[in-house]
Amino acid sequence: MSHRHSVWMLLCSVVLLTACGHVQETRSARLVQAAEFNQRAQNAFLHGKYQYAATLYGQALQLDVAIEYVDGIAINTLNLARVNQVLGKTAQAEQLLDQLLNDKALRYAPKYLAEAAVQKALLHLQKGDAVDAVVWADKAVDWCGPDCKLSGVIANVRAGIALRMNDGEQALFWSDRALAANRDIPLEHANALRLQASARLMMNAPDEALRLAQDALTIDKLLGLPAKIRQDLLLLAQVHERLGHTEQAGQFRQRAARIAAVGMK
Amino acid sequence: MELPTYSQKLINIEKRTQRFMLGALGLMLLVLLMIGLKQDYFSRSTSIYFLTSNAQGLSKGMAVKFVGFKVGSVQEISMEPNAAVRVRVSLNDEYLHLIGQDAKARLIKEALVGESVVEIVPGSTQVRQVTQGSVLEFERGQDAASVIESLASQLQPILSDMRQFAATINKPDGDIQQTLKNLNQVTAATREMVNQVTRLGVSGNQKLDSVYLKLDQALEHANSSLGALDKAIPQMVERADTTLSNAQEVTNIIKQVTQDSAREIPSLINNVNTLVQGGQETLDGVQQSWPLNRMLPKVEEQRLPVDGYVAPEEP
Repeated sequence: MSHRHSVWMLLCSVVLLTACGHVQETRSARLVQAAEFNQRAQNAFLHGKYQYAATLYGQALQLDVAIEYVDGIAINTLNLARVNQVLGKTAQAEQLLDQLLNDKALRYAPKYLAEAAVQKALLHLQKGDAVDAVVWADKAVDWCGPDCKLSGVIANVRAGIALRMNDGEQALFWSDRALAANRDIPLEHANALRLQASARLMMNAPDEALRLAQDALTIDKLLGLPAKIRQDLLLLAQVHERLGHTEQAGQFRQRAARIAAVGMK
Repeated sequence: MELPTYSQKLINIEKRTQRFMLGALGLMLLVLLMIGLKQDYFSRSTSIYFLTSNAQGLSKGMAVKFVGFKVGSVQEISMEPNAAVRVRVSLNDEYLHLIGQDAKARLIKEALVGESVVEIVPGSTQVRQVTQGSVLEFERGQDAASVIESLASQLQPILSDMRQFAATINKPDGDIQQTLKNLNQVTAATREMVNQVTRLGVSGNQKLDSVYLKLDQALEHANSSLGALDKAIPQMVERADTTLSNAQEVTNIIKQVTQDSAREIPSLINNVNTLVQGGQETLDGVQQSWPLNRMLPKVEEQRLPVDGYVAPEEP
């Protein structure tokens, strides 16, 4: 074997040994346990077991607080607020978000604060308070910065606010931006399509609205989201009504009612 | 001036090499000594034999135990010209005086799931102890599978007895059904007779003769039914007796198996627990090593996606 080969062999052996000997950075057992609770909660949420998800997020949050893992505290507080919102416990959701937004002792990364602000805006919108929703959407933009992953969500929120204010043009403008920003996020893409369909309907363009609502329905069916499918069907019923298709409108309402009867979110 | 220094250096190196070699040799001897001690090469032992029809479950080096202690090992397994299997066992002399010539060698499993060992079942202490070349009687202990097999073979006739018994009872033209039918008829006839007697009491003694006749017939019927019952009952009792004694036997076996297993199950569970824990630790270690640690997803806390849509109020 030549000298060069020997050197190569030696170098390869050293690299291999170093690589094999490399051990992942150690994480405390509590941190791993918190992550496990969080993942179990994610699974429960995806399967529609919201109450169980809330319990697990609560356990993860407790652990994160105990070991003062700041990122974990922010993540699980946001998750817990979201689950409470889905469960209809809006007051609790708002309280959790306020805890995060008004915390003077710990400093959270702006991305978490931006998300908290978006959730606040959504809660205000849910209450019918469009003015405060705008305030929180603006705050979200401030925290979000230029390359923010939440820009598509914020655009949808603004479109929703515009619809609540009966401003079809603004709704169309923001939903257009949301469509462009949410190409890779099916949930938000479908939201943008639904919002744009509503905006088109508001602007008396039912044919366009029909196409958009059907597209939204296709995506929501793929995602398997009962509440969203029901919203699409109700919107399609409205569109058909506007088009004078009374019978079809009735069929869509009936389909929406069947989903509501199952009681899944 | 330089030459003596050089030669001195050589002598020093030679001395050091000698010392190193001696040290290595000593270490090697020590290791050999330890291996020898571990393998019982230095303890005095006596070879005894036992014969068996087949070598299944036996292997060279298998432990030989006496009242739970290892007293030797299987040294050799060979086939005799008559196709019998001859097993040579080496016993530690220290324990030899405890094993009589009438002791037995038994192949057993130490636990439900465990390794097989040859157990020496002590014989009578009055009998002379085993010596070099003694031949012990050999038997195979029952393992869980054979116990279950024998249990199944004993249960089978009981079940067929029970099935037959039930079939006999249900047979429409069988003794029991016939007897019950006859008894029914007798009851009906008696009821009719009582009615007639009542009517007779009201209307006088005109039909007394016919009643007597019917009463006679009914009693005769009852007699024949009871006769059939008399024949059938001993058979039934005999069958029930056999069935019950078989069931008793099976119950005893089940009880024995449960008692035997009860001692082993906690240790079995313990072993399994240790095994699972060990496996988990090994898996954790492997998962944390390169390159697997790069391939497996990290368990990290994740955010739920925000849903930027609020449903409009429904009318």
